[in-house]
Amino acid sequence: MLTFIGLGLYDERSITVEGQAALRAADAAYAELYTSKLVGASIEDVAEYHDADIEVRDRAGVEQQPGEILDAAEDQDVAFLTAGDTMISTTHVDLRLRAHERGIDTRVVHGTTAQTATSSLTGLQNYRFGKATTLPFEYAHGGNGVPQSVLDTIADNRERGLHTVVYLDIKVGRGPDGDDPAHEEYMTADHAAGQLAEHLPDTLGVVVARAGSPDPLVTADRLSALADREFGDPLHLLLVPGDLHPIEADALGELADAPSELVQY
Amino acid sequence: MGRRKKIVDECERLMDEPEQIRNIAIAAHVDHGKTTLTDNLLAGTGMIADEGEATKLMMDTEEDEQERGITIDAANVSMTHEYDEQNHLINLIDTPGHVDFGGDVTRAMRAVDGALVVVDAVEGAMPQTETVVRQALREGVKPALFINKVDRLISELQEGPQEMQERLQKVIADVNELIRGMTEEMDDVDDWTVSVEDGTVAFGSALYMWGVSVNSMQRTGLDFGDIIDMERADERQELHEKTPLSNVVLDMVVEHFPNPVDAQPRRVPRIWRGDDELDIAEQMQLVDDDGEVVLMVTDIGMDPHAGEIATGRVFSGTLEKGQELYVSGTAGKNRIQSVGLYMGGEREEVDHVPAGNIAAVTGLKDAIAGSTVSSVEMTPFESIEHISEPVITKSVEAKSMDDLPKLIETLRQVSKEDPTIQIEINEDTGEHLISGQGELHLEVITQRIERNQGIPVTTGEPIVVYREAPRQATEEVEGISPNRHNRFYLTLEPMNEEIVEKIRLGEVSMDMPEQERREALQDAGMDKDSSQNVEHIYGTNILLDDTKGIQHLNETMELVIEGLEEALEDGPLAAEPVQGSLLRLKDARLHEDTIHRGPAQVIPAVRNAVHRALIHSGVALLEPMQDVRIDVPNEHMGAASGEIQGRRGRVDDMYQEGDLMVVEGIAPVDEMIGFSSDIRSATEGRASWNTENAGFEFMSDSLQKDKIMEIRERKGMKLELPEGADYLD
Ligand SMILES: Nc1nc2c(ncn2[C@@H]2O[C@H](COP(=O)(O)OP(=O)(O)O)[C@@H](O)[C@H]2O)c(=O)[nH]1
Repeated sequence: MLTFIGLGLYDERSITVEGQAALRAADAAYAELYTSKLVGASIEDVAEYHDADIEVRDRAGVEQQPGEILDAAEDQDVAFLTAGDTMISTTHVDLRLRAHERGIDTRVVHGTTAQTATSSLTGLQNYRFGKATTLPFEYAHGGNGVPQSVLDTIADNRERGLHTVVYLDIKVGRGPDGDDPAHEEYMTADHAAGQLAEHLPDTLGVVVARAGSPDPLVTADRLSALADREFGDPLHLLLVPGDLHPIEADALGELADAPSELVQY
Repeated sequence: MGRRKKIVDECERLMDEPEQIRNIAIAAHVDHGKTTLTDNLLAGTGMIADEGEATKLMMDTEEDEQERGITIDAANVSMTHEYDEQNHLINLIDTPGHVDFGGDVTRAMRAVDGALVVVDAVEGAMPQTETVVRQALREGVKPALFINKVDRLISELQEGPQEMQERLQKVIADVNELIRGMTEEMDDVDDWTVSVEDGTVAFGSALYMWGVSVNSMQRTGLDFGDIIDMERADERQELHEKTPLSNVVLDMVVEHFPNPVDAQPRRVPRIWRGDDELDIAEQMQLVDDDGEVVLMVTDIGMDPHAGEIATGRVFSGTLEKGQELYVSGTAGKNRIQSVGLYMGGEREEVDHVPAGNIAAVTGLKDAIAGSTVSSVEMTPFESIEHISEPVITKSVEAKSMDDLPKLIETLRQVSKEDPTIQIEINEDTGEHLISGQGELHLEVITQRIERNQGIPVTTGEPIVVYREAPRQATEEVEGISPNRHNRFYLTLEPMNEEIVEKIRLGEVSMDMPEQERREALQDAGMDKDSSQNVEHIYGTNILLDDTKGIQHLNETMELVIEGLEEALEDGPLAAEPVQGSLLRLKDARLHEDTIHRGPAQVIPAVRNAVHRALIHSGVALLEPMQDVRIDVPNEHMGAASGEIQGRRGRVDDMYQEGDLMVVEGIAPVDEMIGFSSDIRSATEGRASWNTENAGFEFMSDSLQKDKIMEIRERKGMKLELPEGADYLD
């Protein structure tokens, strides 16, 4: 049995009670931290708190050599852990399908994820989001500036009046010069806002920082203004709202200090 | 006025009078006396002290030297010579001692209008004489002959007049046969054969500094008989004073070699392949010093004070400090820091150098030997891609840690001077790699480092460079990214030879305008649609994008190309470079989000797809070949041809030439390692030989697997054929 468990948003206590039970019951546990990370706790903290042995796998260890995880799951209860929810924004459906190919049962235990946190914290309505996108570090996508596809996604959504979640790149274990175990870098919202502001300077943006932590931050302003501010510890993400429903506008004003001239409906 | 100052003033005056300039080179077999003659000419014209060698320079004062930052460059020298009541500036460009290495000699010849062929009277014309003369004639350079070491015929061999005459006539006849053969078909030259009567042949002794020609006989009243008597009587000093060699040779140079104004209208169409309708073509032909600047670089030297010095011929325009010029094969421009002329063996800065001269320029940091440097973008004289690919590699290490920085600098220098040399600097291990045209080529280079730079080095075993190439077209092959969300579909086929050749010659490249590239590809047999889909060219391989309207593909293409290059750089069999593949990207499925189609996903997906396609195409190993020519006395002919055949080689031709037999064949570079000493012992040192690169050939099937394993072992790769390549088992 292979159980996909979402660790939730922030630290060792963000996991659901059901997830905790599944983790404790597992014979072996693997974690993947290259697509997202718990910033409030190390994986050792998680292991200690939940009294479990957790082996961290890098990208190659999950994507290219999933054999070990699947072998173990053939006759044992194996937990596979990621930050957030295991099936959102990461691509582990592939691992699940490979397990099914080998006749291994699977189960998903959900965690809270940035996707829901953004709606929850900003008051923007879940129904009114378009396609999400990720802004990569410049050196990581082999081009300069913002990839056209990111701008296209935002433009398409806005045309249809929809909000866009822009996830921000995380680089762990790999830096500008290739593999580097010590490398740990999180794109900040001000940096991202600066990049997008080159194309959309006066557009409204909403920063969500440290969702799920005891001191989350939500701030709305022009992208060009956001670029000049600092939002503290990671993780950050950025929203580009589309048309605002009156309640959404009120929420951004109240919860995100949006300048009133930007949130008229 | 100091003597030096006088020389400088005179050279500066002459450089503006193209009719009074001659640009020449000396073509000679090793040891026939090129160096001795050069010293002699410099001394005879007062450019250096009389009794000295080229390195003992005539200088006014030491401070003077430092002030002007002049230096010695033995490679290129100039002198002034008065003839017919007019002074002349004669620029002598060095040709490299070793003729095996393709471009160098051709490049030097392209910059001159006359070639002084020097032949040792005792040895006669040798294979190397022939090679260099051929290269000169091919570039449209006019020959004249100087037969050297005639003192040896007289004093050492004690030959009688009859015997001597026969011998000298044979040398002339041999050289003429070559000239006739080469120029018969050229419609831009008339009769270029040389003769004593015309004054295009001179005799003499570079060692004892006397010479004779019809011209000198008339002037001095000394005929050949008188000379024999004086040489026999050991009156050499007197002979030198009465009929100095430098006068004899330089009179011949001035009288019989064309000046730039006469030469360039004929030579520009021969040596430059650009459009002859362009203004620049006319400006070069007319030696127009007001035209666009065109400089062809023959050589890069190093100056301890001034840094790199590019030497070359100015075909049109006027070089001046501060000009921003294009350098062929590189993007952007270089700014000229100084311009100068050679005067004697020294470089002297001047404020401008007009068309028709040989200039020494600093500031051209991107230039290498062979570069075309110009004020407008133009077709270069030589396409950099044309330069033959290296086929053998050797590691070089400094014996002493202290020499490390100097070695690195020297290696960089070497690769600039000789573009057929490639270097790979590894500052971490100190084990640098140099790659070149053959074992001998690398030996010559290492000797240069050790001897000229005084850096003791240890070198590794020579390693031959192989290639991998497809043998048949494939079906569509799929490449999947590690996260399985990105998929690429492509086919591969062997590229037609004509296109491969065009890429090699630089006639098809990504640097050229798209329309031109399409046309060139269509001319070489590519269909129109395909020629419009060219996305990338790497080595002699092409990637076509046959897909239409795939979302996000544009953004991903750079990564696709990175994956492609990785795959082609290290082929699937033995991580050797891949050549001659035509790849077509047929389809692609990409993840919605950039993060999941980043480098970690796309590069391996494409690399795997290309490698799998290569294996489907029956990829096999090619090895570099060398054409071999051996000149050997009859009795050693069997041994000589045996040396070729015994090396998996093939003898293609054997024929008599003079009193020697010529054996011509082809053999793998790998087997040619150690040839130098083997042929010497097999023929008691009587053979002279030459090799030339002959491209890559597929190795026979029976040798493939062993060679692949040998290379894999050397590189520390797994000792098994890649999956699916069992056809090589
Ligand atoms: N007897 C004699 N020896 C000469 C003459 N010219 C050159 N040599 C000798 O031949 C050898 C090779 O000459 P060098 O100028 O170095 O030849 P290079 O290899 O063509 O530059 C040297 O030992 C010279 O001294 C000559 O006219 N007479």
